[in-house]
Amino acid sequence: MTGKEIYKIWAPTEAKWVDWVRPVPFVGINESFEGYEVDEFLIPKINYIKEPISDMAIIIDLPGNNSIKEGIALAKIGFRPIPIYNGTDEQNGATATVDNRAIKMGLIKGALELKKIEIPDNAPPAFLLDTNRMNRYKMDQSVFDNSWDIYAQDMPSAEYFLKNGINKIMVRGESIQKDLKKILYTFQTKGIQIFWINEYENIKQVRLIKPKEKDF
Amino acid sequence: MKLVSIPKDKYDEYRIDLMFDAYKWDPQFFDSNTIAKQALVITDEEHKELERLTEQLDEETRKAEDLLNKNLKLAKPLALPKKIYKELKKMKNYDPDKHIRLMRYDFHPTIEGKWAVSEVNSDVPGGFAESSIMPQMAIDVLNEKSYWYKNFGDILTNAIIKKVKAKGTIVLVHCTSYSDDRQVMQFLGDKLKQLGFRIIYAAADHLRFKNQEAFSILDGNEGKVDAIIRFTPLEWLIDIKPKHWEGYFDTITPSCNHPIAIFAQTKRFPLVWDQLEKQGIRLSTWRQLLPETVEVKNAKHKNDYIFKPACGRVGEKISIKEACKEDEYRKIMADVKKYPKKYLAQKKFNSKSLISEEGESFHVCLGSYSVEGKHAGYYARISKLPRIDSYAADISVLIEK
Repeated sequence: MTGKEIYKIWAPTEAKWVDWVRPVPFVGINESFEGYEVDEFLIPKINYIKEPISDMAIIIDLPGNNSIKEGIALAKIGFRPIPIYNGTDEQNGATATVDNRAIKMGLIKGALELKKIEIPDNAPPAFLLDTNRMNRYKMDQSVFDNSWDIYAQDMPSAEYFLKNGINKIMVRGESIQKDLKKILYTFQTKGIQIFWINEYENIKQVRLIKPKEKDF
Repeated sequence: MKLVSIPKDKYDEYRIDLMFDAYKWDPQFFDSNTIAKQALVITDEEHKELERLTEQLDEETRKAEDLLNKNLKLAKPLALPKKIYKELKKMKNYDPDKHIRLMRYDFHPTIEGKWAVSEVNSDVPGGFAESSIMPQMAIDVLNEKSYWYKNFGDILTNAIIKKVKAKGTIVLVHCTSYSDDRQVMQFLGDKLKQLGFRIIYAAADHLRFKNQEAFSILDGNEGKVDAIIRFTPLEWLIDIKPKHWEGYFDTITPSCNHPIAIFAQTKRFPLVWDQLEKQGIRLSTWRQLLPETVEVKNAKHKNDYIFKPACGRVGEKISIKEACKEDEYRKIMADVKKYPKKYLAQKKFNSKSLISEEGESFHVCLGSYSVEGKHAGYYARISKLPRIDSYAADISVLIEK
């Protein structure tokens, strides 16, 4: 399958929320892409949610293709997984801060799974993010920095969420990362409730503190 | 000029094709689709007029920057960041024949039936693929043989071929964390690679300078560099620590653009025109097209002026009240009050909107490129609001035969 064909599986034009699927990793799935096996791509069992909650969107923020696997698990119970990965390839031969190839491999394998699942066109969204995006550590200046942030403009606005019946957003991840906090704080000020679930605890509602002005 | 709709049944495929075949990796901005459902068609007469005006503006701009470079005292009213100002004297060795000069002038049709120019993108204009591949894809989807377009990418690469040694190493300097920067560089990199150049995608601090020549220190890609194509804006470059960027200002490695671009990049450029004209520089085309521009203090209590940041990009922080979102207008005005030298006041022009075949009204910003003084194609955006910013949609520009 080409990157374009894989993209179309993740973003069928008739479905809701798919306008936000970022093409960046899909574009990188081309004739020069050399994938590698990361793992067996086993889809996990979700125990924190049994079925879609019509007024709740989920943001899966897990390392590498774990976010894709969990996105597929959520698709099986009726969510629409929306990949919003935005990391680019490193220059050939250079050491990079983030390995984005795992995401591409995950999107290819995820597409094969997704093809088998029927998701309603109006299913609530589960946005997929790679926690590794913020790996900024550089041993020295010669390293290629392809870390990236998620920005407010990469997601629907709070107004759009509310207009489309979403007034709760749950983050699934080890923590709510700095870039996401900025976006979610704004959502919170506009009446969207924020929830968080990690590996070990129950879902809890969180009250985000206003980020510093310079961070906006 | 007119808006011609992409057939509805072909639009979705057109949008996806642009992402995958035309480097349009940012098709969505918040809730806005950034790929227009129309093409912008200009008449041959309009094209010829824009071509002439662009080349005249370009000649005036390059003469102005040459004089400013030779007489830095004249540049003081530009209020450039101190870090940049300190480096400017290094540019005395600037030789335009060694570097590639690229600019984009933003034209707007007005209700008076004239053109207004809002600014020149002098330092790092973008929109490369949108002005090179997108028009052909629009022609194909419209199945219309009576339109043509000027391929910006071909013109720029031809200029590069003339000044960079064959099969040389070209470093495409950009913010490597931003995919929307990379899409611009990737288009150019792929094109130059096909022409036999060795391409390195790198960040600004991956270059070091020795005897005024550039060297790459990027892991696995170390060595001498034959050309620099920079997409990192100068005002961002100077914030990089530790400081290795001063070499960009006096390098003899062919650059596009060389930091000479900063004189016209600041939106305060018109504030030195009176002095430049006294020195014999002709700026009549600029005077004809750019709305009156003054210091912030001279526009107080005048309702027909807007405020623009000197170092603004993609329409951000421009105080067009009806186009501002939420409390953006209040924040801009507070900033203008606090830092008046970082802004300028410009008389508001009356943008003429175009009506689409579906009856929707759009304002147009028609960017007209110059490469080495010659007109080099178009990059346009349309918006329902009079401010053309990141919410605007990219639109193909086609010319009637």
